[in-house]
Amino acid sequence: MPYNETVANLGLEEYKYHFITKDKPLFKAQKGLSEEVVRQISAHKEEPEWMLNFRLKALRIFQSKPMPTWGGDLSKLDLDDIYYYIRPQDRMKRSWDEVPESIKETFERLGIPEAERKILAGVGAQYESEMVYHSLKKEWEEKGVIFESIEDGLRKYPDLFREYFATVVPPHDNKFAALNSAVWSGGSFVYIPKGVKVDVPLQAYFRVNAEQMGQFERTLIIADEGSQAHYIEGCTAPVYTTDSFHSGVIEIIVKPGARFRYTTIQNWPHNMYNLVTQRALVHEGAHMEWLDGNLGSKLTMKYPSCYLVGEGAHGEILSIAYAGSGQHQDTGGKVVHVAPHTTSRIISKSISRGTGRASYRGLCKVYEGARNAKSNVQCDALLLHDTSRTDTFPYIEIEESTANVGHEASVSKIGEEQLFYLMSRGLSEEEATAMVVRGFIEPVARELPLEYAVELNRLIELEMEGSVG
Amino acid sequence: MLADARMTTAAEGVTAAFNREAAERLAAGEPQWLRERRLAAWEVYEQTPLPTTQVEEWRYTDVAMLKLDEVRLEEESGDAPSGPAAELLATGAEAAGRALQVGARLVEVECAEELRAKGVVIADLATAAREHPDLVEPYLGTRAVPADLGKFAALNGALWAGGVLVYVPRGVHVEQPIRIGRWLGRAGVAVLPRTLLVADEGSRVALVETFASPDFDAPALSCGVVEVYARSGASVQYVGLQRWGLGVRHVSTQRTIAERDANLDTLVVNLGASVARVDLAARLEGPGARSDMLGLYFANGEQHFDHNTRQDHVVPHAHSDLLYKGALYDRAHTVFRGLIKVHPKAQRTDAYQQNRNLLLSPEARAESLPNLEIEADDVRCSHGATVGHLDEEEMFYLMSRGLPRRAAERLVIFGFFGEVLERLPLPGVVEELRAAIEARLR
Repeated sequence: MPYNETVANLGLEEYKYHFITKDKPLFKAQKGLSEEVVRQISAHKEEPEWMLNFRLKALRIFQSKPMPTWGGDLSKLDLDDIYYYIRPQDRMKRSWDEVPESIKETFERLGIPEAERKILAGVGAQYESEMVYHSLKKEWEEKGVIFESIEDGLRKYPDLFREYFATVVPPHDNKFAALNSAVWSGGSFVYIPKGVKVDVPLQAYFRVNAEQMGQFERTLIIADEGSQAHYIEGCTAPVYTTDSFHSGVIEIIVKPGARFRYTTIQNWPHNMYNLVTQRALVHEGAHMEWLDGNLGSKLTMKYPSCYLVGEGAHGEILSIAYAGSGQHQDTGGKVVHVAPHTTSRIISKSISRGTGRASYRGLCKVYEGARNAKSNVQCDALLLHDTSRTDTFPYIEIEESTANVGHEASVSKIGEEQLFYLMSRGLSEEEATAMVVRGFIEPVARELPLEYAVELNRLIELEMEGSVG
Repeated sequence: MLADARMTTAAEGVTAAFNREAAERLAAGEPQWLRERRLAAWEVYEQTPLPTTQVEEWRYTDVAMLKLDEVRLEEESGDAPSGPAAELLATGAEAAGRALQVGARLVEVECAEELRAKGVVIADLATAAREHPDLVEPYLGTRAVPADLGKFAALNGALWAGGVLVYVPRGVHVEQPIRIGRWLGRAGVAVLPRTLLVADEGSRVALVETFASPDFDAPALSCGVVEVYARSGASVQYVGLQRWGLGVRHVSTQRTIAERDANLDTLVVNLGASVARVDLAARLEGPGARSDMLGLYFANGEQHFDHNTRQDHVVPHAHSDLLYKGALYDRAHTVFRGLIKVHPKAQRTDAYQQNRNLLLSPEARAESLPNLEIEADDVRCSHGATVGHLDEEEMFYLMSRGLPRRAAERLVIFGFFGEVLERLPLPGVVEELRAAIEARLR
């Protein structure tokens, strides 16, 4: 089969509806999901009718799909006990001074100095489901870069939005993509025009702070031909007492010759279910990199993917997972080679501590017609305690004889000799352990921007506290 | 409606060939315990739905490919193979003892007199169940392949015929390999062979089992079970050579159990059959146990092979090492799914797993799913998988020496397989396997 037919058959269909909505009832928050809730969300956001219809159709898909039985344990996830939408603050914040103190405090706790925050351009902070703070450097505006909340993206750029929305992750892709499609709220809309190079990363911090609040952020990014950009999404959140749920969808279109990198460091509260679909469609000669760090949460199921649909496309997934006691990180990546001469690489590093469980789950698929595709996957797991657990579940599906595909994985215990050596140099066991762990993740961590590497190290150190004994 | 639907599910896979009457018929005249086991297995079979491709382990193999409805139960024997067919079974090779199954029956069972004197038993399994219940009852369908392991383990548990018992007493070394030949002479039938090998403490034995038939135009089914026990300190090699003809559907469940300090190696070679679906597991039950799991497959035409392997580490200080290699031509499709499972108490486990595939035709297709589940921390585990094509530099070198492309290709494939064969400590058997592979590559 010619590869462009394969692309057409991937099931990434488009959705087109042609109506405009008029009425706007008052929004009342309620637990659970129903058609009424979906209609309220859409009405509250003053969405065009096609989006309402899209949401309703997605809701039906969500209701018809069974819960996944693979991956993590979802039996304790009560989808009726969640607020699917919470009213955001009344208006968008325009300047730093207007950002609420509570959010500033959380920023503070992250340890990023305010000065640095201001230098880091285009910070959008998401708080309780919506963008509350949003700024974009002037020079980018001049270049035509769009960096908006997803709602504003839909409002201000309806045609561009509609052309790409749900084309990479259609609602029928999986149960939680359908759920997100029905109730999405918040997230970013990014467009990088042809040939534009954005030097400073685009950043969107977001936080989840309300108990039992569902967070269904949706991000749509289009990197037009020959453009270059780096998008960073970071996240820390305080610990809650009852289960919480996050289910995002990230769609990225990397047009011919473009280079795009998406970095996420997530440190969710330990009772959070985090089920995310993030996927990039990578066109001819384009490069896509996912840098994915997963800490915290009760269960994370997240497999950033690259669909390499254009000749010579390259996809890369660098992943770090840290599973502390009671946590299950079911993460990894997918690379799907559809076009000839496509290449990909996955590097995954996982650490399991206490009763934590880190699972790598990955797919490397080479369709017929993707001649001379090359893929290499490497997974390393580090176990800190005898109660820790790790799994590796790679799927390698090859339909092309010219393909060259390799997968390697190793599992090891933290080396007693390494610890002994470091401790003989005067480090405590805790410090020594943290140092070994840092060394273990270094091949991925070094790809992070400096401040993130620092933050990640800080988080690892924090997690290591009390890990000995 | 609902009740009907449930009944349909319960009866999945119950056919004109596979039914309770058949189990009753086979159980007639058998000792009570065996009769009960057959009927219990039948219950499990009836109550287990047929696996669908929604079931992870059957994701790539549609059970419809097995054509369960198109075969009747073989209850006859037939003529023993002669001429080239006999060669397929290597009946002429040296052996310490042998058994030959034709159709549903064992037509020949022999054991070297000297070994018999030492207590070695090579026997028809049904006869042995009567005459040596102490050697059969504790092992048959108990710890290795109980009926509840799966639909096809249950089917065999209920309907096996032509079973073979090999028992090697404590400390006895059997120098020559023991050979079992399984011959199927006609299409349209199902055979359910079963092999039970018990190597008692400190004994040594090698068992080579060959499955062969001519090519058929219509489907035939072999639904087999292999159970191997290596008691403390025993050293066992089991080799399964599957060279059924086309048309045959080969379903096999193989479980080995290695106790303390035992060495238990298996080599499974899949060359024939239209569809082969094999479940192979090594369970390490004693510290110091070691199991090598070796596999080779060569598929062409429309052949479909699906391997499921499992290395089960339940105790500390055991070692397992798996290497499966396959080469594919034409529109062949192969699947390797391997799992290393390290249970919480299995500290100091050493476990490795490698799967390598050579795709030799544009339409060939290989899936590789090497899985790890590790619940202990002080372990050394790694796995690797590759899917690739012929190394053009190697080819170029060989062709520059005057070899035609096809011959160069054969040589490279041979070298590729050689790494697996070299690890089998049975030089004579390795030569036979080489010949079998060579005949297949021709």
